Amino acid sequence: MYFAGVDIGSTMTKVVLLDKAGNSLSFIKGPTGPEHRQLANQVMQQALEQASLQIDDISYIVATGYGRLNVPFADRQITELSCHARGVSILFPNTRTAIDIGGQDAKCMRIDNGRLVNFVMNDKCAAGTGRFLEVTAAALDIKLEDMGDTSLKATKKIQISNLCTIFAQQEVVALISRGEKLENIVAGLHDALASRVAALARRLGIEPDLVLTGGVAKNTGMVKAMKESLGCELFVPEEPLLTGALGAAILAKETYLKAVAQGEALPTKSRRLEKATFFS
Amino acid sequence: MSWFIGIDIGSAYSKGVIARDFELIASHIIRSGANYRTSAEVIRTELIRKVDLTQDDIANTVATGAGADNVYFASQKASDIVCTARGINNAFPQARTVIDVASQSTRVIRLSGEGKVANFTVSEKCAGGSGRFIEVIANVLRIDLSDFGPLAARSRSPITFGTGCAVFGESEAITRVSEGVPKEDIAAGVNKALARKISSLVKKVKLEDPCAICGGGALNTSLVKTVQDELNTHLLVPPHPQIITALGAAIIATTSATSESSKKANL
Repeated sequence: MYFAGVDIGSTMTKVVLLDKAGNSLSFIKGPTGPEHRQLANQVMQQALEQASLQIDDISYIVATGYGRLNVPFADRQITELSCHARGVSILFPNTRTAIDIGGQDAKCMRIDNGRLVNFVMNDKCAAGTGRFLEVTAAALDIKLEDMGDTSLKATKKIQISNLCTIFAQQEVVALISRGEKLENIVAGLHDALASRVAALARRLGIEPDLVLTGGVAKNTGMVKAMKESLGCELFVPEEPLLTGALGAAILAKETYLKAVAQGEALPTKSRRLEKATFFS
Repeated sequence: MSWFIGIDIGSAYSKGVIARDFELIASHIIRSGANYRTSAEVIRTELIRKVDLTQDDIANTVATGAGADNVYFASQKASDIVCTARGINNAFPQARTVIDVASQSTRVIRLSGEGKVANFTVSEKCAGGSGRFIEVIANVLRIDLSDFGPLAARSRSPITFGTGCAVFGESEAITRVSEGVPKEDIAAGVNKALARKISSLVKKVKLEDPCAICGGGALNTSLVKTVQDELNTHLLVPPHPQIITALGAAIIATTSATSESSKKANL
């Protein structure tokens, strides 16, 4: 008896496979392309191969993330907020506040006993999301994954005066041509994003334990900047991208086992990993 | 010695105007580039050359815009709000509201008589509320800025952007292009999104007719029409909308030089 969680984010597709006891058998991350369904197939296939399973071995599949409706083989869709809350709580049972900074949005969640009780999110302005770093990294001609280490070498933080990502992009280029050090600029960028996300989290009220997830949590410089902006300690999972998919897999397991216990037959979708013929 | 220069160094373009007796004689526009000081010099040289003058013929120079400090040969700096107000008053004395759509900001100014500023509001925090949104999408569509208006005007069903953010809007435009949505519908969609932001800005200072529009954004004829529809009013568009603020600076250069000399005469 196996369960799967599929999280289709704006930039990455993630799959987690669990066994009946809730042990993670495999996890896979792949880029999200314009055709979510097709890529969900591929990522799922890789995850199955890694765990030496067949698609028919999976009892129940939950899809989440902004592309969750585009997973033809998923049995149920659950919002990413519920899945993140669940996933984070499995990894850190004392979590009361979870902040997820993705490539296209930032979510702050209040959690009580592993359940989502309140949230705020920003998906309106790129300046409060991981996209801010993606765009400015490109302008500075450094790799996104190198930003963290670069910023840790900073001797001072250069304040970025523009709020808008597009104007900030122009500003960092001007700062470089003025002779400012790359690491100091990157530290300033982390600070700018961190203070924006911290302001969002404060609208919700920050209660410890606090967990940071999403792709941005892989950036050590951002974790440091977030700690400074929030003024408190925070936990980061080993695989911060996977909490949504993990939560989805846990919820798949719980949904299925509950139905079995009550003697209900859960409707499931075709287990064939076909390419979608229709994309909407 | 009766020639006056106004120079407006903006984030994208630098504009200069030479005026005599409060009348626009010549203008010059260049990309601001990385060195505003050089841009200012180039503009002065070009203006003087166009009217066939020498530097000694220039009685006064006033600078405005984000890079005004770099116009080292100007006698004074003036606020861009005041300059736009004076400039539009020169072009349309009857105007009571002016909308200036620039690359990095959108400004709406309410005018009392004689081009005095009664009230104003500025949107400069977000590229989605400025002409930059159009530049970003023009780049995605691989079209020239000057073709943007005519292209958008051909649209029958403009797309609706799900976001007001220029960064997210860029991704959305790329997705729409890959889905085969006609370019004109995307262009018209950006105009619609920007027009809505402009209109909410206008409502903040309360529209009073007649209303004029200037700045580089006013060159986008389809945007002007969309803003007109949003505001349900007719917009006056000057023949050279980009140089209105520089013109205002030249007007201020004229009036302040005149009041200086009359002060001296009184002594």
